[in-house]
Amino acid sequence: MRLIRQSIEKKTGEGRCTMSPEEPEDMWHAYNLIREGDTLRATAVRKVATESLSGSTSTHRVRTTLTITVTKLDFDSHASQLHVSGRVSEENKHVKLGSFHTLDLELNREFTLEKAGGWDSVALDTLKESINEDAKAQMWAVLLNEGLANICLVTSHQTILRQQIETNMPKKRPGSTDHDTKLKKFYQRVYDSLLRQIDLADAKPILLASPGFTASEFQKFFKAKAEGDKKLKPLLVKITIAHAASAHVHALAEVLKSQGVTKSVTDARFSAESQYMDTFLEMLRKDDPKAWYGPKEVEAAAEQGAIGKGGGVLLISNSLFRSQEIKVRKRWVKLVDSVKEAGGDVKILSSMHESGKKLEDLSGVAAILTYPIKDLDELVEGVQG
Amino acid sequence: MSGHRRVKDIDYDEEDLYDEVNEDDAEPDTQAELTPEDQANFATLTPVVRAELHEAGLQASDREIQDALWNYYWDVGKSVGYLRGLRGKKVNGGGGAKKEKVKSKFEEVEEERARKAAGGWTSAGLDLGQPESWFHDVTWSHVPEAIVGDLITPTKRRPSMLGGSSKLAKLAEERKRKAEAAKVAATASSLDHLTLDGTHEQSKGRSPDTQPAAKTRNYPARRKEPSPPPKLPEPEPEQEVKEAISDLRAPPTAFGHTLSRSSRNPDQRQTLQVHNLLGSSTSPDAFSGPSPDDIVTRAQGASRSLNNTKSKPQKSIANGVNGLPKSVDALHLNGTSAEQSPVQPKVKSKNMDVTKIWTETAATRRPAAAFVVIGHVDHGKSTLMGRLLLDTGAVHQRDIDRFRKEATEQGKASFALAWVMDTSADERERGVTVDIAQHHFSTDTADFTILDAPGHRDFVPNMIGGASMADIGVLVVDANQLESGLKGQTREHVLLARAVGLERIVVAVNKMDGAVPAWDQHLFRSVSEEVRKLLTETGFDRDNIKLVPCSGLNGDNVATPPAASGLTAWVTQSSQTLISALEDFAGSTATSSESLNNHLRLQITDIFHASSQHPISVSGRISAGTVQIGEPITIMPSSELASIKAIDVADSPVEYAVAGQLVTLHLTADDIEQLERNVRIGDMLCSSSSPIEVVSDFTTTLLSYQPLLPGPVEVHIGRLQLPGRTTSLLELVDAAGGTVKRKPRIVKAGLRAKVKVTVDRALPGDEGDRVVIRADGETLGSGTISGLGERWIGAASGN
Repeated sequence: MRLIRQSIEKKTGEGRCTMSPEEPEDMWHAYNLIREGDTLRATAVRKVATESLSGSTSTHRVRTTLTITVTKLDFDSHASQLHVSGRVSEENKHVKLGSFHTLDLELNREFTLEKAGGWDSVALDTLKESINEDAKAQMWAVLLNEGLANICLVTSHQTILRQQIETNMPKKRPGSTDHDTKLKKFYQRVYDSLLRQIDLADAKPILLASPGFTASEFQKFFKAKAEGDKKLKPLLVKITIAHAASAHVHALAEVLKSQGVTKSVTDARFSAESQYMDTFLEMLRKDDPKAWYGPKEVEAAAEQGAIGKGGGVLLISNSLFRSQEIKVRKRWVKLVDSVKEAGGDVKILSSMHESGKKLEDLSGVAAILTYPIKDLDELVEGVQG
Repeated sequence: MSGHRRVKDIDYDEEDLYDEVNEDDAEPDTQAELTPEDQANFATLTPVVRAELHEAGLQASDREIQDALWNYYWDVGKSVGYLRGLRGKKVNGGGGAKKEKVKSKFEEVEEERARKAAGGWTSAGLDLGQPESWFHDVTWSHVPEAIVGDLITPTKRRPSMLGGSSKLAKLAEERKRKAEAAKVAATASSLDHLTLDGTHEQSKGRSPDTQPAAKTRNYPARRKEPSPPPKLPEPEPEQEVKEAISDLRAPPTAFGHTLSRSSRNPDQRQTLQVHNLLGSSTSPDAFSGPSPDDIVTRAQGASRSLNNTKSKPQKSIANGVNGLPKSVDALHLNGTSAEQSPVQPKVKSKNMDVTKIWTETAATRRPAAAFVVIGHVDHGKSTLMGRLLLDTGAVHQRDIDRFRKEATEQGKASFALAWVMDTSADERERGVTVDIAQHHFSTDTADFTILDAPGHRDFVPNMIGGASMADIGVLVVDANQLESGLKGQTREHVLLARAVGLERIVVAVNKMDGAVPAWDQHLFRSVSEEVRKLLTETGFDRDNIKLVPCSGLNGDNVATPPAASGLTAWVTQSSQTLISALEDFAGSTATSSESLNNHLRLQITDIFHASSQHPISVSGRISAGTVQIGEPITIMPSSELASIKAIDVADSPVEYAVAGQLVTLHLTADDIEQLERNVRIGDMLCSSSSPIEVVSDFTTTLLSYQPLLPGPVEVHIGRLQLPGRTTSLLELVDAAGGTVKRKPRIVKAGLRAKVKVTVDRALPGDEGDRVVIRADGETLGSGTISGLGERWIGAASGN
């Protein structure tokens, strides 16, 4: 995302910001920035009906700049499109005040956003994150085993499952080549699907991961196919092989944190999230009283100042900030602010990544405390009862 | 023009046969005008006809004349003849006093006949083929309730004259309506009678006493009129029936009916169950009503007894049969709605009482068992099994020699025996088993099936699939590398073998020849102790553990005991061979009659193309129930229907199979390709009468091996593996099932807990199914399904 201009008051958070999304990933940032009640200004194509003097009506499409008060957001992760619906809040000659319009944010078209309750710390962080040019790495990850392949696009902030290929793989049986021929066919399908997804002009690194040897077998297959093709040859050097526990998408988290992968992938960002989550889960498995999850538990810990200087980390999923209720959202912003105040580290995990999904399964918020608190859950329950 | 006339005639005729309710809705066409040409024709010909009639001393209105002309396509002679006949009759019938407009039944029928004769009317002229054949090979049945839609009959315009119909057409409509009214009044005319009989027959088909009992279904709306009291005419002698059957056309299906009928009322929606569309008569309940043949007989009898004149026998048969489709159709609707009847009548079933046969033959049967070979990678599982097959004669020495030659070329001479099991290029090249291999062999007293499981940790899912098909476990332990195994897959495999329900286990302490010193008895003892400890800890009963020292590579103490002197002397004295240990266990493997009487369940572990005769075959272990050739089955979660064409047990064909057996089922279905497309490994093959539940979540009481958190997991039920997540840790329980703590934040290793698991895909499961939960390549826990959750609806959207 490119920042065009901004006029945000640091103290009050009032003001507006004009941005221009440059790549599909930016729609994800916009989705995380825009909230219900915000004011959004962008260009739109609107059908306008005009009535001529003789009384006949004609409709034509006009490109006009609309300002709407957001009522609904709809993000299509597969197509990376964001549709924002709302009521028109500034009248112009084509559109009446209060009529509804759905803005489809477009690449390279500016939009201006003004937050309803001002820009809070989380919103500012998201904004900062979104205009950060460094975090733009992407790669393809193909998770496969014999008979199942998941082709994913991994970006700094999202893991998008682009295609799933599944076939019945007959078992090996004496005197039958059924298995081998079916396997060849399966590889061919994965190969074709992968090439259909990849933009050859701007090829990203490709990670092949599987249990067993399927990934390296597929790499061989890929090599044999692509060797003679000038266009495809540059792809070969971008392929990395890794081990995965299974071919299911959630195994990707484990793959991304493995050392071989972090080295070969230019940006370590995607694995950074995985690592934080991993440390936390490891502590939890050991039943370390410094690791806690659950909204009440974490809030109680934050109140006590246990997520502070010297190792306190708050892990929070960004889906919590997408809540439709401003009250709920404020609750989490308050939590983030209080941890920051206490000197703790705040990590906002993307719900579109596997590590973020793991966090979501743990209610979306977790914390590593500075000092251990035993039976925090019972304390919380006691307060309630 | 005559062409159009013909179309109209047919429509008229069909109306008689199929339409009764909608008759009143007929809208006369109004916009039509005669072409100038037609008008000129009328103008010139009407006076001519009138003159002719006048000569004959008859009078006729312009309308009648024009009508006649129209019908006879401007043929003056015929028109006059017709009108003359008409007038004559009228005088004879004594109804001449009436006004022309009010026409009698006689005239109507006469007119129609004449028209038909003149127009060269044939039904074949417009035959679109039997409607039911349009949907011939489409499988409709077992469509989930949710997607059964309403069928709105298309508003087919009645064929009419070019440029719309004339006033004459209007008149025709008018007359037709009257004719209908007259029919109901039942004035005696042979033709009318026949149609009426049809209606009677139809209502009989629908009357409660002939209907399968208490089935509520939405019938098409057109069946609205109340059933007249059934009037059963005396059946006619046999010989006439035969004649009738030869003329029988296939009855149209309900769907065909609906399509071929012309509805003049587009708003009339007809609720039609897709099940009703099946014209098949395979439903068991179909026989509770009168059979189609009976109905033909009755219809025929009725038509004949009432049709005294018998002037047109052919026609009466045709009509009697034409009246039939409705009655047969009504029967079908009832029959198919009664139960979800499978649509594959292709394979005849002998309808054996398999359970009875099985229990009766129990004494004479050879014991049979399947065993899974488990253990750490490179402990020699495949080699030991290769040896077993070689020594029992299941594999020829010359095959082994060939393998040895090939293996030596690759520098892996010691893998020759393993290549019996590891047949894929991949496995041979790397010397690692990847997937379960299945082989059969027989000893003097028992039949065995080997399931050779992969030892490598990446292929544990395959091992779970294999172990869940076995009766006995064979744990192969490298005597010299016990430690690596206990840390690795030896431990995990033992846990999993217990988790999938194996109770008996033979421990083959392998590579005894490679020990230092070779065949060291102390080594065997210490290894035995360790392994026994592990097994009892895991939950195996001491009596169900047998330990055997052996060497797979050389074949000592596998099938035959080693030399009774020298290093191995102690072995012959104190231990049995691997084979005899297996035989001991095989003898005690028996299928309980309880599981035989349950509904058929078989988890599909393989789908393949066996031969051109058997394009689609599945294999697996029957976990409950029995199966026989010809049995209709349903595969869940796709609800695909199929029938059993042939059954193989241990590569030889049989007529039936029972729970506990490993079988290959050769299937047949209406649409094999669809079946192949929709059926996946891990699906459950069930009896069509009671398919398994398909759910999207379940609760399980499990024992954890690793700390368990809410999060993404893989759910394994036998061969089935699904991505899913443990959504909530409900409570920690103790061994007796009492609650220890509600909503724990984590389930530590070794504890029992009740956990809710949601799966991302449809899961066919039953309560009591054994489930293993894994994540990141580690087994987290295992248990049984204690409660099924929400029914699977479809792929959940979202990220």
